[in-house]
Amino acid sequence: MKPFNGFIKPKSPAHEEINSYGLSGSVARKKAINYKELRRFAAELMTTISQSLLRYGAKDIGHIKAYIEHDNGFLHADTLGDPADVTVKGRDGEPVNHFRLVVNSVIYGVAKETVIEATESSVTSVLLKYRFEKDLNREE
Amino acid sequence: MKLVQIAGYLGSGKTTLILALSKNLAEEGIKVAILVNDVGEVPVDGKVMEEYGLAVKDIGGGCICCQVAGNMRKTLGLLAKNYEPDVTIIEPTGVAVPSAIKEAVGLEASKTKITFGPIIVLFDTTRAEKFLNYDTLKRLVSTQLRDADIIALNKVDAASKEKIKDSKESAHLINPKAKIMELSSHTGEGLGSIVDAVRDLTVGD
Repeated sequence: MKPFNGFIKPKSPAHEEINSYGLSGSVARKKAINYKELRRFAAELMTTISQSLLRYGAKDIGHIKAYIEHDNGFLHADTLGDPADVTVKGRDGEPVNHFRLVVNSVIYGVAKETVIEATESSVTSVLLKYRFEKDLNREE
Repeated sequence: MKLVQIAGYLGSGKTTLILALSKNLAEEGIKVAILVNDVGEVPVDGKVMEEYGLAVKDIGGGCICCQVAGNMRKTLGLLAKNYEPDVTIIEPTGVAVPSAIKEAVGLEASKTKITFGPIIVLFDTTRAEKFLNYDTLKRLVSTQLRDADIIALNKVDAASKEKIKDSKESAHLINPKAKIMELSSHTGEGLGSIVDAVRDLTVGD
């Protein structure tokens, strides 16, 4: 996964205490994933990141979003922190072996290093759980 | 080209509203372009809108209210020249200050035929109380509401009557001049009033 320098430089005082971090890259696994499992994966990604950030002391999950783009369709998922309120929408397609994943976390009330740590470790753990190989076709 | 901002704190429903609003405006024969600014370097909202067939320009690299205001002006100039939309909807980041964006656009407006539509700020009625409990967050959300011509109390389908009432009172206290509307981008409640405002309302610069 390629980390982006996605911090808000606090040039406007309005941005105080809000930090963001984004990841994007290609992931793949040998066994194709069908659309139902892909939707579950997207939802679990949102829940895992948000719960991790709340454990780290985030005052508010500003917005966590993900975008999954593959040959047969796309999904977008987001959460504002409530596990019951994760949304996953998009266009389903045939099972796929690989896709492009984008994740953005924008959080209020924790340091930027914490947003990085929580986002990266959560993405890694969910990818591993679903048996995806990460860092494949790394975007440079 | 009329410029309309759909602003509001993170997760207030900007993208969902813009998708519905653009569809309605297009059905009336109004040519719409969208300028999206995501927090961070990896755009998500613009990608989603493109998937729904909308004409979108993404601006990354920072917030258009401060860090990349120059990029926004340049992009607006190119949009006006090359695409000639009737309406351009700006979706700023959830942490942007709408008046700073309008001020930055002002420089381009003098060179291009840009008029200003309303600044519509979404206020999430399900989380309003939380926003106003933290000092820095309260400052940001209050600043956004103060800059609004229209405050749309969003997600009224998911909030209790008491929460909607409290949100309305808080919004009115912060910005007594703004028109306050109730909205559910999810169910479409109140969407017609937003479409009317975007189509018909022009505000001074």
